[in-house]
Amino acid sequence: MPNDPQPPRGKPKKSGASPPAGKSPGNRTPGNRPPGKGPAGGKPAGNRSAPSGSASNRSAASGSASNRSSANRKFTERQAAKQQAARAARQARNRTLGIASIVIVVVIVAVLIVVKIGGGGGGNSNSSVSSPAAGTPVTAAITKHLTSVPLSTLAAAPTSGVASAPGAIKDAKLTADGKPELLFIGAEFCPICATERWAMYVALSKFGTFSPAPGRLHSAVRDGDIPTITFYGTKYTSRYLTFTPVETTTNEPDGNYYVTLQTPTPTEQKIWESHTDQSFPFLDFAGKEDLTTAQFDPSLLEQGVTFDQIAADVGNNSTTVGGDIDASAKVLIQTICSKMTGAKPATVCRAVGNG
Amino acid sequence: MAESNVPRWPGLVGTLASLAGIGVAGYLTYEHFTGSHSLVCSDHGGINCLAVTTSQYSKVLGIPVALLGLIYFVVMLVLQLPQMWDRAEPLIRRARVGWAVVGLVSVVYLLYTELFRIDAICLWCTGVHVLTFIVFVSTVLATLNTEDPLYEGPPGRQR
Repeated sequence: MPNDPQPPRGKPKKSGASPPAGKSPGNRTPGNRPPGKGPAGGKPAGNRSAPSGSASNRSAASGSASNRSSANRKFTERQAAKQQAARAARQARNRTLGIASIVIVVVIVAVLIVVKIGGGGGGNSNSSVSSPAAGTPVTAAITKHLTSVPLSTLAAAPTSGVASAPGAIKDAKLTADGKPELLFIGAEFCPICATERWAMYVALSKFGTFSPAPGRLHSAVRDGDIPTITFYGTKYTSRYLTFTPVETTTNEPDGNYYVTLQTPTPTEQKIWESHTDQSFPFLDFAGKEDLTTAQFDPSLLEQGVTFDQIAADVGNNSTTVGGDIDASAKVLIQTICSKMTGAKPATVCRAVGNG
Repeated sequence: MAESNVPRWPGLVGTLASLAGIGVAGYLTYEHFTGSHSLVCSDHGGINCLAVTTSQYSKVLGIPVALLGLIYFVVMLVLQLPQMWDRAEPLIRRARVGWAVVGLVSVVYLLYTELFRIDAICLWCTGVHVLTFIVFVSTVLATLNTEDPLYEGPPGRQR
């Protein structure tokens, strides 16, 4: 014990220099001395004998010193025992805490798995990723890219992948705010809506602006998990038409269906039911034409394609996805121009052959 | 430098697990930044790495979770090196235990999101989770094995 102060070996302290009985000698640290070990010199002080032929008073002094050393030793031993007991208690406490933490982690993981298997905890085996209803923000660069696809590119898009197109209906003219109305009834879980929204966004951006820009999300995992945008939470402004999007649910499962988001007005509900069995998507072009499905194959977007990849393909007719979205947008623009806006704006409608 | 009485196995286990973690997290980070085109994993049903790694939960405050995992294991590798286990400074011990706890709490959160929010399990992510758990257990057990773990002693005294 290098830092354990010891009196000089073989030099008994004078009584005046000795510490009072019951007090640790000097600044000795009791904890640093192994229990049972005697004082300096490695020899028990009590066995130390006085030199032969010493005077009686020296013998008495020696006996007194021996008693003090014995008391000091006992004190040191008691302190060491206390120190060791405290250390053992700390170790036991830490050991308990450590093992308990491991057990707790295992239990938490087990509970999560059991709850999941049991179908509880707000999800089930068919649950899906939930997103903010208005989606997450799209970067400015992507928004600009999607809203500024050249009309010439759209006009040149190959239509070989377009399998469906708006069809004629004979309803009363649908208007809102004094302008022809494009009614969209969809749902954020819906993969077909997810597919068609890409073309809708590109096309509608030629007639007006969205503020804020549509957020990004995806259809439900159990329904294609297709990256897309949502029109919920946006406001569309146009001189030529009124766009009324109704996103009826989020993509968050609620039992066997999804969490309700928006409810069509009674008039919208009536129109919707008159043309579909309340299926999605439903687009009504001012009561003159409707579209009840995506124009191109949604499975093209189900193959693990990311939002950024789809966005990058838009405006690139050499890619299948990009060509199909561009062609679908062209058809929507043509329909809007011919059935809703009277071929306005001319620059847009003329560019796609409806001017 | 104070020497600890820690056996050799924690350093070995921790180092190997951290190296494996760097490998897997590095792979996921690479896939994240390259569009996940070459991610080797099922992308359908309950095992769907792509659904997990491209979900809204794949980032925390805009930072990819995969990158955070990589950073975690790099730091943990340093803390798990046998030379670091030989050092008995309480600060190092506490940093190692604390970092292991951070990793484990993150794993529990990510497991929750996979099971209940994304509804898909990413096998690569699960590998990372298992490695994190191994590091945590080995760190805790080895720290408990040392004399007076995490105890500095009264102020002014050096162990």
